[in-house]
Amino acid sequence: MKERIAGHWRTFRWASWLGWQMEANWTNWYLFIIYSIAKPIAGTLIVVIMYLIVFGGVTGNPTFFSYMYLGNAFYIFIGQALFGTTWVIHEDREHYQTLKQIYMAPISLFVYLIGRAMAKIAVAGMAVIITLAFGMLALGLPLALLNIDWALLALAMLIGLLCMVSIGVALAGITFLTAKHGYGINEGVAGMFYLFCGAIFPLTVLPDWGQAVGRAIPITYWLEITRRAMLPNSGISSISGLGDYSNIQILSFLLLSAGIFLVLSIGIFKYADYLARKKGKLDMSTSY
Amino acid sequence: MVHAIEVNDLTRLFGGKKTEPSVALDHLDLMVEEGELFGLLGPNGAGKTTLIKILSTLLLPSSGSAKVLGYDVVKEAAKIRPRINMVSGGETSGYGLLTVRENLWMFSQFYGIPGREAKTTIDDLLVKFDLLDKGDAKVRTISTGQRQKMNVVRGFVTDPDLLYLDEPTLGLDVNASLIIREHLRSWVKGNKGKTLLLTTHYMMEADELCDRVAIINNGRILACDSPKNLKKLISKNTTFSIETTPFGDVNGLSSLRGVTGYSAETNGEHTMLKLVTEDESSISDIISYLTQRNAKIISFNKNEPTLEDVFIQMVGRGLE
Amino acid sequence: MIDWRLNGRAIIGRAYPRVLGVMREPSWILFDIFLPLLGIAAYIYYYRAMNAPEMYAGFIVIGGAMTAYWMNVLWSMATQFYWEKEVGNLQLYMLAPMSRMSVLGGMALGGMLMTTVRAVSTVLLGVFLFNVHLTLTQPLELTLVFSFTLIALYGMGMMFSSLFLMWGRSAMQMTSLLQEPIYLVSGFYFPVRAMGYWVALGASILPITLGLDGMRQLLFGASSNGFLPVDVEIIVLAVLAVVFFFLARYFLDFMETMSKREGRLTLRWQ
Repeated sequence: MKERIAGHWRTFRWASWLGWQMEANWTNWYLFIIYSIAKPIAGTLIVVIMYLIVFGGVTGNPTFFSYMYLGNAFYIFIGQALFGTTWVIHEDREHYQTLKQIYMAPISLFVYLIGRAMAKIAVAGMAVIITLAFGMLALGLPLALLNIDWALLALAMLIGLLCMVSIGVALAGITFLTAKHGYGINEGVAGMFYLFCGAIFPLTVLPDWGQAVGRAIPITYWLEITRRAMLPNSGISSISGLGDYSNIQILSFLLLSAGIFLVLSIGIFKYADYLARKKGKLDMSTSY
Repeated sequence: MVHAIEVNDLTRLFGGKKTEPSVALDHLDLMVEEGELFGLLGPNGAGKTTLIKILSTLLLPSSGSAKVLGYDVVKEAAKIRPRINMVSGGETSGYGLLTVRENLWMFSQFYGIPGREAKTTIDDLLVKFDLLDKGDAKVRTISTGQRQKMNVVRGFVTDPDLLYLDEPTLGLDVNASLIIREHLRSWVKGNKGKTLLLTTHYMMEADELCDRVAIINNGRILACDSPKNLKKLISKNTTFSIETTPFGDVNGLSSLRGVTGYSAETNGEHTMLKLVTEDESSISDIISYLTQRNAKIISFNKNEPTLEDVFIQMVGRGLE
Repeated sequence: MIDWRLNGRAIIGRAYPRVLGVMREPSWILFDIFLPLLGIAAYIYYYRAMNAPEMYAGFIVIGGAMTAYWMNVLWSMATQFYWEKEVGNLQLYMLAPMSRMSVLGGMALGGMLMTTVRAVSTVLLGVFLFNVHLTLTQPLELTLVFSFTLIALYGMGMMFSSLFLMWGRSAMQMTSLLQEPIYLVSGFYFPVRAMGYWVALGASILPITLGLDGMRQLLFGASSNGFLPVDVEIIVLAVLAVVFFFLARYFLDFMETMSKREGRLTLRWQ
């Protein structure tokens, strides 16, 4: 057992190192910093400009603004965690053609994928911090470091990231079976979360069936609890559609739904893995 | 007279911004005549692929000049491209989603070959290279060797005047290699104006196929001549091993023209002769001598320095 | 002297695997039609959450439709040389006598089916699911705006693709970096005029900016808060189409020479 854990840790460590090499060693450090700042801010400004067009200023609807801004900022984790896990399969299979060797090695592919995704999650973390800082400094987002419920935030992040990575691994399994435009899987699933999880607008805006879908997804609860941790007692939950639930209840929903998704994800991954081996797709080339 | 390849004082350096530049080609001179099947032998890192890349207009030289089919590789690349092609060993080019035929047809279109003509040529080549049964198989389903055959076929589909083959038989089985070598030979010799530049790690292949071979190491040509003449650089003598039925007056062999030494060992019903000659044309006198003494030839071998011996002597080590 | 026959065949040759890919891997129908609609729906509901005028939902639909072409230009054409280099096809393309623009043109043409299906389905689903109202009163102008936008956009994409002859991952990351800022300054989801006059003017160098603006004016009328008159935008787009064509040609030649000098043309895993 001890050896197994040591082996997984070793795999995780080296996969994380490899992921970081791929993520960061393509340019100078200052260009990398510029890239890490410009990209998230530009992405955030799209929804901010849309807000400003309608309301005429940040103070038009400050609660909604905070709701939207925080959701959009933390959503960066979702996109990157999903992409970071899924893209590994495509990249290793089609471009570097190392998937065969990695697959054959006596390591856990599951752990390897999670390790590779860590770099993207680390970069996402940087992007979220930068986005939040920009919001505070340039747009008057009412964040105060001393007011943040750090314990709640840490717990939420731990469960949330685990959930996101496991979903990513399930999608990675599906990528075993799809062609290069499986990039659309990421876009699609991330888009689904963007739509149904209350990322930039309250759940109550959706039709009833949409709200039901949203309530079944752990990301909804993760975004809600994260907002509450960042702006406790701000009334931000009053517009989310989940305001009737306490923090404990939201955390419980998050834990339960994340657990279900984790089990589902592992199942999907294992089945897709089996199918890929059966159909000889582990080293297929699908570029065109 | 236009040479197929004309290289003068060619140098190619890499790097050099933060560290000492590495010299891939070092004032290299080379001439390849039209109609030659020319071999390039060298260890890994000798500069073979760098040279081919320059000659195929994929890389610019640092200094010196190179002409292909009379055109400068730097200034007249557009005139060279319609008339050349290149095949590398272990290529992964093409699209896995397409069939063998479709991949080949696609590449033929990049050279402007009319569709129908391309299809006919492809079919003919698939037959020649024993790949017809895989013509409609998706590339991602065929074996490495079959993929390499497809790559070789791709080289010929465009009917180039000059073809660069960079280890074309890599990964191929004996039969497939034989088919390819046969085709290379007949393509060059059977068609006027076709030239082939071949790099290979199989000495036997270079020996068998090439009109001339250049040995390259550290970016320089160490020797360039026909395989026969290269072997003579090592040793001017040829040794014949002949097994015959016993015959009289064995000592008379030493007086034959060109024979510089011999040994004979009779063992029951067989005599093993080893004759060292200055000139292999002496063999006719040797055979006449044996025939006149009623000796029946049971087996006959010619031993001479191999190209590998030449390579080792020139480069200082074998091919890695 | 352009060899039209050679380059015509080359365009068809390179489009061919794309078309076959579309037919042989039909999973794109799900991933490229239905799933992107989710992101569009998110923005529509976002506007609705803010009680924005319903016309804004139409902006999202049009922006979403044009996103399909922008993504095709960026990821299926501009960055394609990077992928081709990685698998070893680039050197074979560079060796062949066809124009580099023919290869890229073939990629664009081949991807056009998937892209157009995505764009059209976005518009149709947007109209039917979200009750978006489009008013088409000047079909000729709309066709001109759309056509010149596409030609200029693809020319710009070809220009970007030249970067990948020289560089690898760094160019890829820079391309990825451009994605969100271009969505922002080009006004994919809102009138570009909202960015301020000077930002809108600067962004007009990107064909998609005036293309979207022109389409919005033609489909939603004067209340769409257009930046420049449509006639002016058509002329500017036509000029951009020509300019980017020549820029593409120049940069492809320039970067090819530079990459051959540096020895990076066939260098993988940069």
